[in-house]
Amino acid sequence: MNEKQRLLGLLKGDKTDRSPVICPGGMMNAAVTELLEDIDSNHNTDLDAMVYTAIKIREVIGFENYGVPFCMTCESEPFGVVLSDGDKKCEPRIVEYNSSSLEEIMEKFDSNVLLGTRSQNVIQAIERLKNDEVPVIGNVTGPISTATSIVDPLKLFKMLRKEPDISYKFIEYINDYLISYAKKMVIAGADIIAISDPTATGEILGKKNFDKFAMPMYKVFLKAINNMNTPVIIHICGDVKNIIESLNLLDVQAISFDSIVNMRYAKSKIKTNLMGNVNTLLLQNGSTDKIVSITRNAMDSGVDIVSPACGLGMSTPIGNLRAMTDCVKGSING
Amino acid sequence: MEMINYYYKNINQGGSNMNEDKLFQQISEAVVEMEDELVEELCNKSLELSIPADKTINKGLIAGMDKVGRLYEEEEYFLPEVLTCSDTLNIGLDILKPHIETESTDSPIKVVIGVIEGDTHDIGKNLVKIMTESAGIEVHDLGRDVPLKNFVNTAEEIGANFICMSTLMTTTMMGMKTVIDMLKENNIRNKYKVMIGGGPISQRFADEIGADAYSADAYGAVEKIKLMMAS
Repeated sequence: MNEKQRLLGLLKGDKTDRSPVICPGGMMNAAVTELLEDIDSNHNTDLDAMVYTAIKIREVIGFENYGVPFCMTCESEPFGVVLSDGDKKCEPRIVEYNSSSLEEIMEKFDSNVLLGTRSQNVIQAIERLKNDEVPVIGNVTGPISTATSIVDPLKLFKMLRKEPDISYKFIEYINDYLISYAKKMVIAGADIIAISDPTATGEILGKKNFDKFAMPMYKVFLKAINNMNTPVIIHICGDVKNIIESLNLLDVQAISFDSIVNMRYAKSKIKTNLMGNVNTLLLQNGSTDKIVSITRNAMDSGVDIVSPACGLGMSTPIGNLRAMTDCVKGSING
Repeated sequence: MEMINYYYKNINQGGSNMNEDKLFQQISEAVVEMEDELVEELCNKSLELSIPADKTINKGLIAGMDKVGRLYEEEEYFLPEVLTCSDTLNIGLDILKPHIETESTDSPIKVVIGVIEGDTHDIGKNLVKIMTESAGIEVHDLGRDVPLKNFVNTAEEIGANFICMSTLMTTTMMGMKTVIDMLKENNIRNKYKVMIGGGPISQRFADEIGADAYSADAYGAVEKIKLMMAS
């Protein structure tokens, strides 16, 4: 059973010989500083460097997938924001939001045809990474997080209360754009789509807003991608106790949780595959012994796909990540 | 007579006979319910009734925001609600502040706040800022991605009581220790209380780097500031 058969089989609901260990990319990427040392160009913006980094993550760290990109800014790039490119120590980030009104943004940018230069690179990288052995994951930033990367989060949060209709319309407009982007990824050869929506946590939005503004978007997104016969993984940051029942209503092939979530509890509540949730702080600062024991604990708690719990700090040592992947692979023999 | 009084009171809801406490309560509720126009109307009414502006601020607006803080802690309200309430609060403050007549003799508590250099996640910091300001504390916001020496320099310049630092990223946590070390090197550590917070921060980390306090949330941060100033 190769890595692609194992992960895709598991997401389809088949029995597998063991849990896969992956790091999907996007917000949850393993392009850590130590790994990037020998790469001259910027892996966030240069196509060759992007492909090389994706392959190197698998070869050096042992994660069982290729995943691009390594940031959360590709999606918002074409919407009139100012980005920093990021480097070997710091991920790309939004430096300046678009200060226009939501209506103006929706009028000005046609979300159906829009792809930024970074997104175009991501599509091409997927085309080049496509293969029969290793699953390729296309990563998309979720609708709430993309919307709050384009406009100031505080502005949009307030609008959720004050102007719910226009806010909903804007998030829906972003969601449509993300769906068309994800479809292009699938056509390019992505085996799986992973969405991370770290701003849409139950802790930030509360259950009411989550159900009103995030859930409908995920449902439409999932349907569109599943219709292309492609599985989807959703990552939700933070504690999920107030939204876990909602999440269970999603037709999604795996849900990834943060380290604060007790996976035994999640297992009892969630019908789909669980992914996670090795603590990223531990992966950065902890001893390899402790990392191995926490990784084992995740597997014993019923995690189906082992992965970091959230976005990795860029100073995370390769050796620590390797301890985690080795541990999962070693479990073939018990 | 009873009936007449009853009737009189009712037709004068919000009128000149309405007692202050009732008005304060209405203002407080209007903040909690995010009713901008009502807050505007009631605050103007308080001025017409010659109620001292600082009293209306404290017993009406800030009392309301305090309730918002409790609802946030109880997970009834979340970030969108708290932010919207704080806008409503500010509408009231804008009306009343110019009418504060007597300079308060107590010097206000002063806080310097910011997100550590290298990190741009500032939602949590902004929430602490809003809640702290709502409690009548003077907040000097340095923003996000703040060079470490700016925390010390600003605190010295304005004579702050507190230095509050936030970060969501593990990579920038140690910047908090650097700030504390800078204070020590300059022999001014005891001039300030240092409070820290943010995703990866814990009480244990606060103890390790020698911070005075850690708070897991915005409401708790304000409570701790008040508590430390009282002691």
